[in-house]
Amino acid sequence: MGLSTVLEIGRNALNTYRVAQEVTGENIANVNTPGYSRQRVLLETAQTVSANGFTVGNGVNISKIERYYDGMLQQQMVSAQSTEGYDTAKSSVLQQLEQTFNEITTDGLGAAISDFFGAWQDLTLNPDGTAERQAVLSRGQILTDTFHAVSTNIEDTISSLNDTLNSLTDSINTTLTSIAELNGKIKLTGQLGGNSNEIRDQRDQLIRDLSTQIGITYTENSDGTTDVKYADGGAELVTGSAVGSFSLTVNAGTGHYDVNVTPPGGAVALVSPATGQLGAVISLRDTTIQGYLDDMNDLAKTMFTEVNSIHTGGFQHDGTTAGTNFFSGTTAAGIALNISATSEVAASGVSGAVGDNSNALKMTQLQNSLTMSSGTETFNAYQDGVVSQIGLDVESSLNAETRDIAFTTQLSTLRESNSGVSLDEELTNLVKYQRSYQASAKLVTTATDMMDIVLGLIR
Amino acid sequence: MRVTSNMSNDNSIYNIQQSQSKLYKTNELIGTQRNISRPSDDSVNSKLLLDIGYKLKANDQYLSNIAKSDTWQHVTSDTLTAMSDIMTLAKEQVATITSGSSDATIRQNVVTQLQTLKQQMVDMGNMQLGDQYIFGGAKNSVKPFSITSPYYSGDETAINIEVGKENTQQINIEGNRLLTADTALSQPYGSTNVLKAFDDLITAVNANDVTAIVAGAQALEAGAKQINNAQSDVAGRLVRLDATTKIIENNRNTLETIYTNIQYVDNAKLAVELNQQQIAYEATLSATAKISKLSLLDYI
Repeated sequence: MGLSTVLEIGRNALNTYRVAQEVTGENIANVNTPGYSRQRVLLETAQTVSANGFTVGNGVNISKIERYYDGMLQQQMVSAQSTEGYDTAKSSVLQQLEQTFNEITTDGLGAAISDFFGAWQDLTLNPDGTAERQAVLSRGQILTDTFHAVSTNIEDTISSLNDTLNSLTDSINTTLTSIAELNGKIKLTGQLGGNSNEIRDQRDQLIRDLSTQIGITYTENSDGTTDVKYADGGAELVTGSAVGSFSLTVNAGTGHYDVNVTPPGGAVALVSPATGQLGAVISLRDTTIQGYLDDMNDLAKTMFTEVNSIHTGGFQHDGTTAGTNFFSGTTAAGIALNISATSEVAASGVSGAVGDNSNALKMTQLQNSLTMSSGTETFNAYQDGVVSQIGLDVESSLNAETRDIAFTTQLSTLRESNSGVSLDEELTNLVKYQRSYQASAKLVTTATDMMDIVLGLIR
Repeated sequence: MRVTSNMSNDNSIYNIQQSQSKLYKTNELIGTQRNISRPSDDSVNSKLLLDIGYKLKANDQYLSNIAKSDTWQHVTSDTLTAMSDIMTLAKEQVATITSGSSDATIRQNVVTQLQTLKQQMVDMGNMQLGDQYIFGGAKNSVKPFSITSPYYSGDETAINIEVGKENTQQINIEGNRLLTADTALSQPYGSTNVLKAFDDLITAVNANDVTAIVAGAQALEAGAKQINNAQSDVAGRLVRLDATTKIIENNRNTLETIYTNIQYVDNAKLAVELNQQQIAYEATLSATAKISKLSLLDYI
């Protein structure tokens, strides 16, 4: 034990506080980096030595630089973000489509149906009138046009959702690859005894990002790597530094994409996504929006059947030719006027009676007939039901989205509270470590002075 | 709880967003004056509003049908009044000769009068509204009445229209039931062939056949009654149309009240809410500005 030991303690302390300032600097610099967890220097007393029968301290050491990280919170955030991703994707698509069915502020299919039967009402008052017959044809045309417009909008939405799958799975694959690469680096750094805090932060951030796109479960391994599994079916996506991938194949039946997963080193298998953005896209494409299209097709088909059934029971303007089908096509996209001349409108219900209106009257009464939903609803009530349903779907998805955002915000706040950088705190540390550094330097200069005194004795 | 400046920032942004979003909604309500601008604003009431909208539209259609039927009934009523007047004139002419007359000139005079009145009767029977013969049934291509037998070439089709949901009303009077009732399948007004009665009378007067003249006078009387019966029918229809119009208008008022209550905003309530939201928003902005200025950096 001698003066050189004091110098050594001073030197160690200087090094230690320099590193502490570096860590503080890193924290300050990353105050706004997404996913960054603040780090701290854990100090410990250096190995003690025995001198002159006494145990004497040997200064300070850095035991480790650790990051503030709450594994439980990370799990919760991953799960909450999957739900948020699902609900947000759903609500944004449904809100876009809602406008197609917004019959509250603008006239839509319901009004077109009403106007169509209104034209038949006018025809009952003058079954012989060319203008009234023309109005029936025009209103019929508007009705079919409206059917086409609605079905085109729905089909476009379905098709664009299907296209979205390309970019979505590409993005998921990129994230998976990055997670696997970072896992590799973390493992390597660990083997070399290095500090992989920043890489872990990046990897954890990627896992959170991934969780908005698909539902995942993950396990943290002792070597610092994280294995990721797909929540829908449990396929492995990342195992250590090995990575699986998502791929798309066209379904011959529907013409839409099927989603497949290839686990690391495994065989490709079909999956049914139900969580995250990917799940929302599939659910909207195959169930929710397809449901609206089915409803529109039902309406068009029943309209086709019922109107044609009455129309073919009547007589054309000449009073002798039997009425033909009024509509052709049995889907919302395919329904069209089957007749084009005013003389083909079958208003008369009695052969030879040109001015008879009984068939037109029958047609007007169809509007109030319970034709839809197994004889429980009128055309208009059915359409109201569809509008109300999409309203309800949007409303509930918006509510779910708001709830999810509040929840993830709360979780982010908790994460920020634990792992976020506080500038005030870092500034305090900055001053603290600076003072300690100054004191350590003073220790070195004092020891040097003492050394000079000792050397002066020799002279 | 440990609080960092980023937490304060995030919190501020979240709260500002919340306030902004409330202001946006209130602004939309005031701007549109509607509670429901899209189905998701209130999906249950959306259905109700749409339903009321269709009912109002249907009511408008019924009112339009009633207005047209009303015109038809008035034209029919006026024509029937004219027919009734013709019958009165005919009866007066016949009254002058019920005991016959040996003076051929007097008889000829009566015959000429009766022929003119019959022609007028036929003309009235061929009355048109637009291009529809009001007494022709479903036949519109030819005049329903002619001066010679067979007098009627229309048909006996009833033209019904809707004046309410599942509520139809006949708008026409079938010509044969009115003037040639002996040939009609149904005889609600009487069974007299008015035009034949004219012809029989003309023959009787020409022949100075007193028995036939008396019989003819009785037939004319029956014919006049038949026309009066038809007038009563039309009057009844007009009353019914009037009553139906009132029901529909009452119904419309009720529906419009419900619609207004659901759809149109309460401006006083919105003004108060807007004020509250504005205060909350200003407070949020002020708090954010004050908190974000604070830093230890300013003191070391």
